[in-house]
Amino acid sequence: MSKQFFEIKNGNFVASEKNKVNNINLKIENQGEIVSLLGPSGVGKTTILRTIAGLQKLSSGEIFLKNKLISSNMTHIEPEKRNIALSFQDNSLFPNYKVIDNINFGKKRANGSGSIIDVNEIIKLLHIEPILDKFPHQISAGEAQRVSLARSLMSKPDLLLLDEPFSNIDQSLKDEIQVSVKKLLKRINLTTIIVTHDSYEAFSMADKCGIILNQELKQYDVPYNVHHEPNSIEIANFLNKGVFIDVKIIDSECAVHKLKHKELGEIRGKLSNKFPSGSNVKLLLQPEDLIHDDQSKLKLEVVDRKFRGTNFIYTLKTKNGEHLPVFVHSHHIHQHEKSENFGIKSPIYIDHLVCF
Amino acid sequence: MKNLISKYNFWFFSSFTIALIVALPIITVFLSFFSETSNYFTILKNTFLLDYINNSLLILISVLFITFILGVSSAYFISFYEFPLSNFFSWALILAFAIPGYIFAFSIIAFFENYGTAYSILTNVFGEYNYNPHIPKLDGVLGSIIAISFSLFPYVYVLTRSSFFFQSNNYIEVGQNLGLSEKETFLKIILPSARPAIIAGLALVAMECLSDFGTVSIFSVSTLTTGIYNSWISFDDLNSANQISFILLLFILLLLSVEIYSRKEAKYHQPGRGFKPINKIKLNGKKSLLAFSFCLSVFLISFVFPVSQMIYWTIKFPKYIQDINILRINLNTLYLVSLASLVLVFISLFINYGSRISKSKILNYLTNFSISGYAIPGVILAVAFITLFSNLSDLINENTNIGSTKKIFIGSIFGLILAYFVRFFSLSFNGIKSSYEKINNSIDESAYLLGYSKIRTFSKIHIPYLKNNIILIIVLISLEIIKELPITMILRPFNFETFATQAYVYASQDLIEAAALPSLFLISWATILILFSSKYILSQKN
Repeated sequence: MSKQFFEIKNGNFVASEKNKVNNINLKIENQGEIVSLLGPSGVGKTTILRTIAGLQKLSSGEIFLKNKLISSNMTHIEPEKRNIALSFQDNSLFPNYKVIDNINFGKKRANGSGSIIDVNEIIKLLHIEPILDKFPHQISAGEAQRVSLARSLMSKPDLLLLDEPFSNIDQSLKDEIQVSVKKLLKRINLTTIIVTHDSYEAFSMADKCGIILNQELKQYDVPYNVHHEPNSIEIANFLNKGVFIDVKIIDSECAVHKLKHKELGEIRGKLSNKFPSGSNVKLLLQPEDLIHDDQSKLKLEVVDRKFRGTNFIYTLKTKNGEHLPVFVHSHHIHQHEKSENFGIKSPIYIDHLVCF
Repeated sequence: MKNLISKYNFWFFSSFTIALIVALPIITVFLSFFSETSNYFTILKNTFLLDYINNSLLILISVLFITFILGVSSAYFISFYEFPLSNFFSWALILAFAIPGYIFAFSIIAFFENYGTAYSILTNVFGEYNYNPHIPKLDGVLGSIIAISFSLFPYVYVLTRSSFFFQSNNYIEVGQNLGLSEKETFLKIILPSARPAIIAGLALVAMECLSDFGTVSIFSVSTLTTGIYNSWISFDDLNSANQISFILLLFILLLLSVEIYSRKEAKYHQPGRGFKPINKIKLNGKKSLLAFSFCLSVFLISFVFPVSQMIYWTIKFPKYIQDINILRINLNTLYLVSLASLVLVFISLFINYGSRISKSKILNYLTNFSISGYAIPGVILAVAFITLFSNLSDLINENTNIGSTKKIFIGSIFGLILAYFVRFFSLSFNGIKSSYEKINNSIDESAYLLGYSKIRTFSKIHIPYLKNNIILIIVLISLEIIKELPITMILRPFNFETFATQAYVYASQDLIEAAALPSLFLISWATILILFSSKYILSQKN
């Protein structure tokens, strides 16, 4: 018997021949934790949510909620008896009821046993006041998403599932709503699983983050580790935060590990994986790893520059033909043009040396 | 095994039963084709059968031509131009739906016959004279063509108009921007994109035209439908009737596939998010007069003419008001309409709901087959019913002591409702389906996740959403049943009259003036129902 608040044991999820996720093992130890599942579109994230909610049957494995088996190949508790709420990505509001009536539908749940939430607080928090008397066809996709979220929250679920909950919401409102929703979920201690393809959303909302790629859960860890210490090349590529360069391990025994790159020279830091000294490996270099220094003797050629608001991202080229990204604050005293030399602080120190 | 059980569940067997009920008349007709032919059919084949086919095709081609001109022209004027009463004509032209072809036929006969209405008008205006030789006699094939065309052109009008109406102004503006003139824009952009809708409308006209029994029968024209009826009623030869039915069904099935294909194509021409309604051009002078005169003439001939003729006769021959038990006929109609609507709507809801929750592909194929019933002409359906239930009764009689079961199905309200069910199931099922499909599946799932059971989801979410649509379907079924002639005529209980049968019976006894009162009631009921549903009929995108 599981002792977790929620657990998937060897779960195989199948929506169609192409859309399946195999052998998922995922635990949520404590009530009130927020977990995000991150992966590209069409990888099967929604299938997992629908199966947890009971809308689809589990192909094999087991799912437990509050130590009770809710899905296996022999057991299938009907969705209306699970006390799990799912807020859909598309508009799933009842078309013939006004927004306020839709929200109140959540209140009518007979067996809700989760925390009691004040409807007015949710309405205010999700900025729904101006549209309460409108019908679903009269509101925008983003508004519909917020109403759907409010309705799910009102049903007092034991587990809340959110499928791309902020995908249609305007960027200006998104950050504010994400913060407010997270605060609320923590305050009412509501365990939540969020599915998204947006890594910023996944990292900012969740206590733990699972990465689903190629029909498998590849990594399940706190967001900080997922970002800084991805456990495979494919995760690093998916998060698209850096490039891989060829380096040699000089010293992997001391407190500070040392690597060597032909042009960048010595790179210091802490290896996340163990490698014997002398190994040739690929090092993940993220834009924040290199630091710009005009005084440095280590110079590389600028081949591209992109303005990203807070930062510029410079792309530098090594003699070997490797392209390295570097963040520079946009308020930096001067800018470098293409073909100019760009100084990098040396020796290079990187907190997490992620090598494969 | 578990999968097999879940696939062949309660919903599957219900849909299978309904598909089977609809399929039985078709199967009966097809099986009869391979059974032994009687002498009558051999004689028929060597004599009149070719005439039946020729007449049917001649009427069909002429009706298609006239309905195309009437339907597309009026839709064009109304969709793109503003002229006096153009808004009135936009809905008034569909009132022709209230006049079945056979009532139009009564009106033509009454107006143009010797000493008929035309004669009376001329006498009153110009004084006594023998006008009869100068009044054209619109009878036979010509009369049938005119009557059927004016009663069926609204199909082309409604579908073409909505296709024009839902064309985005963006396309027209792009055409003009690319240097096309107004005429070129119409011929190169508007008309081609309305083509699927026009073809779908014409295919419906063709099916109704080939199925027509009342009009051709009133004008004594021998076509495939009257051939079927006569083989059965005059020669008591069901086999021959079914063999002619087979030939007719082949034509109809061909048209059905054209219609289904065109409708699918028409969907690609429906507006998306950037839809901008067409800016109508205000007509002046001769052009305005032309558009106005055209629409007014169509309206006067298709609706005002038959209605006035029926009112005139009713007033002229008041003795029939006492002879006809109009209250009884009203009650009979109400009884049939209520019972049939109730059965059709209930079963359509039931099967739609079953298809929705079971998500079975086989179930979808079965229900798609069930809706083919609307293509079977009433007269074929009625004769096939008699064949089927006579054979069934004989079979039961031979093997058991139960006795004849014919009476349960033939000449009974039960049989009549069953035949209406086969004929109108598609109307009811598709009507509910089109509305049901607008309810996203995730809405049902949301309800389940909010703790609602399947039954509560159906009663709290589906029914309130479908309510208006259900009322509309009841109205449309009622309209069809009130106008329906051959099925009611052949399968009704003895002495059970509806407006349609009463009018037809009088007309076939050469008492056309007596047919006026029931016809007038029929038109009144149908007009009320059309006005009630006109908003829906005119808003049909496809």
